[in-house]
Amino acid sequence: MTAVSVEPAGLTVDQRAALSPRRVLGDIALIAGRNLRKVQRSPGLIVFSTIQPLMQLVLFVFIFGAIANIGTGTSYKDFVVPAVLVQSLAFAAMGSGVGIAYDLQSGMVDRFRSLPIARSAFLVGRTVSDSLRLGLQSLLLVAAALLIGFHFHAGLLGALGMIVVVVLFGIALTTFSAFVGLAVKDPETVQPAVFIPVLPLVFTSSAFAPVSRLPGWMQPLAKVNPITYAIDTARGLALGSNTLYKVSHIHLATAAEYFALSWVLIVGIFTALAVHRYRVG
Amino acid sequence: MQESGVVVEGLVKRFGSFVALDGVTFVVPEGTVVGLLGPNGAGKTTVIRILATLLRSDGGRASVAGYDVVTHPQQVRAAIGLTGQFAAVDEDLTGRENLVLVGRLGRLTRKVASDRAAELLDSFELTDAADRVVRGYSGGMRRRLDLGASLIASPSVLFLDEPTTGLDPRSRLRLWEVIGRLRDDGKTIVLTTQYMEEADQLAEQISVIDCGQIIAEGTADQLKTKVGGDVLDLRLSERSQASDAAALLAHTFGIPKSELTIDDELGIVLIPVQAGASALIDAVRALDGAGVAVADLGLRRPSLDDVFLSLTGHLAEEPRPDAPEPLQRRGRPRI
Ligand SMILES: Nc1ncnc2c1ncn2[C@@H]1O[C@H](COP(=O)(O)OP(=O)(O)OP(=O)(O)O)[C@@H](O)[C@H]1O
Ligand SMILES: [Mg+2]
Repeated sequence: MTAVSVEPAGLTVDQRAALSPRRVLGDIALIAGRNLRKVQRSPGLIVFSTIQPLMQLVLFVFIFGAIANIGTGTSYKDFVVPAVLVQSLAFAAMGSGVGIAYDLQSGMVDRFRSLPIARSAFLVGRTVSDSLRLGLQSLLLVAAALLIGFHFHAGLLGALGMIVVVVLFGIALTTFSAFVGLAVKDPETVQPAVFIPVLPLVFTSSAFAPVSRLPGWMQPLAKVNPITYAIDTARGLALGSNTLYKVSHIHLATAAEYFALSWVLIVGIFTALAVHRYRVG
Repeated sequence: MQESGVVVEGLVKRFGSFVALDGVTFVVPEGTVVGLLGPNGAGKTTVIRILATLLRSDGGRASVAGYDVVTHPQQVRAAIGLTGQFAAVDEDLTGRENLVLVGRLGRLTRKVASDRAAELLDSFELTDAADRVVRGYSGGMRRRLDLGASLIASPSVLFLDEPTTGLDPRSRLRLWEVIGRLRDDGKTIVLTTQYMEEADQLAEQISVIDCGQIIAEGTADQLKTKVGGDVLDLRLSERSQASDAAALLAHTFGIPKSELTIDDELGIVLIPVQAGASALIDAVRALDGAGVAVADLGLRRPSLDDVFLSLTGHLAEEPRPDAPEPLQRRGRPRI
C-alpha cells in the first residue's frame, strides 16, 4: 500500500499504527497519568474517601473496642483495624467504575477508541492509576490507625505484607467495579451497583467477629466469602500467625491460599468481562 | 488501484430488529468535502461511527484513506480525526492538556504535541482559556477544542458529526470559517448536518440520507435543479389582492391556480416557473397592466429545505416514526 505521509509527525500511517511494547507502555502511562491528574484536581474526592474510613476506624476502635471482647488477649482494636482497611479499600475501588462511567458519558472512551493506541491501554491505565490511589490511601489509613493506638505484632515485614494484601484486594475489586462501570454506563448508578453486592459480603465475613462467633446460619456463608480470607490474611500478617490461629482457628498459610485463589478468580472473571464490554463498546 | 479518500459500499447496520442503515453507498474523493444531510435518526452518526472504527457494520464495506475499516482498523485510526456529535473533552483537564494528551496518544513527540497544541489554541481563539479546566468552557469553546483535538495529529481524513448543532449563529459562522480553511488545506472531510444551509456552504457534494438510505446525491445546485425550476416570489402592497394577482399570473403562465402558493394574510404569492428571467419580465408586465401594486418581486432558486421536502415528503425535523427510543446520553448537553 502506498504510504500516506502525515505532517508534522512525518510518520506514515503504517508507522503511526504500529504498536511496539514501548508504545503500549507509553499509552498506559499517559492514560494513568491523566487519571491521576483528575484525582489530584478533585481534592474533595480524596478527602471524603479517606475521612469516611477514618470515622469508621474511630467508631470501631473506640466504641466497639470498648465493649467487644474476643477473649484471647488480643485487643479488639488490633483485631478490627485490618478489617476496616480491607473494607475501606473495597469501597474505594468503587471509584474505578465511576471514573469509567464518566469517561463513557463524556465521550472520552470514544475518543480513545478512535486513536491508534493499544486497545488495552484504557483499562490497564485505569488499573495502574487506581492501584497508586489505593496504595496512597492505605498508607494514610495505616498512619491514622497507628496514631490511635493500633499495633503491628509481626514486625515490619508483616506490616508491609498486610498493606500489600489490602491493596491487592482493593485492586481485585477495581476489576469488578470497572466491569460494572462499563455495563451500567451511568455514573450515578455505578455507586449503588457496586455497593449493594459488596456491603452484605463485608458483614457476612470475618470482618467484625471471628467466624466461629458469628450466628450459626451465617458461618457457612462466611466460609465461602472471599472477603473472609482477604481479612484473615491481612490479620495474620498484622498480628502474627499464632494470634490469627488462636482467634480465628485458621492458619495464615491456609487463609493466604484461599485469598490467592479467590483473587485470581475475581480478577480473571471480571477482567475478561470488562475487556469484552470495552470491545463491544 | 489504491482507493484513497472514503469509500462506503452497501453499508448495513441493525440494532436488534431495527435496520438503522439499509445499504448506504457514497464516495468521498481525496481532498473533497462531502456533506451527509439528513434529519434526526436518519443514520448519520451510525455511518460516522462505523467509519471511525467505533462500531462494526452488519454488511457492506467501508474504507478510509485506502484501509478497510474492519481488516485494518488500526491504520484507519492512524489516518483519521473524529469530532463526534457530542464534544469529547476531559472536563478536569485544561484545554491545553486535552490537546497534548490526544496529540501524544496520536504519536506526536512531547515537543511537537505541545507546539501543535499552542498553534491550535491560537487559531481557535482559545489561548486565553488554554490553561483553565474545560469544566468552565462554553459550548462553543468545547466544540472548538474538540475539533482541535481531532486535528492535532494532522489527520488526512476528518469526520465531523453535526459540528455546529446547538451553537449560536456567531459561533456557527466561526466554525464554518474553520472548516472552510480545512477544506482549502485539502483535507478529505465527511460532514454530517441537519442544516441545508450548512451543507450548501461547506460541502462540494451532498448525499441526502433518510431512514438509513441515500435518497439523493449531487452538488447543491444539482439537487436544487432536481426539484424543478425557479420560484417567483411576489409580495403585494395590498394584501387583499393576493388572490386576484394569483389568478392573473396563473393565466399569464398558463398553469392551474392550484399550483401556486397563496398566502392571503401576508400578501405573498409563490409561482413555480421554468424560464426564470423572462418569466420575471412577463410577470411585471401583467401586474403593471392590471394595476396591481407590487411591494417586492423576486426570483429564487428552491432552498435545500424545498429539496428535502420534495425528496422525502416530510420535513427535516420529523423523526422516523418506527425508530426505537433515542439513546440520549444522560446529563450531557447536546453541543
Ligand atoms: N446503539 C443503538 N441501539 C439501538 N438503536 C440505535 C442505536 N444507535 C442508533 N440507533 C437508532 O438508529 C437510528 C439512526 O441513529 P443515528 O444516531 O445514526 O441517527 P442520526 O442521523 O445521527 O440522528 P441525529 O441527527 O439525531 O444525530 C436512530 O433511529 C436511532 O434511534
Ligand atoms: Mg447523530
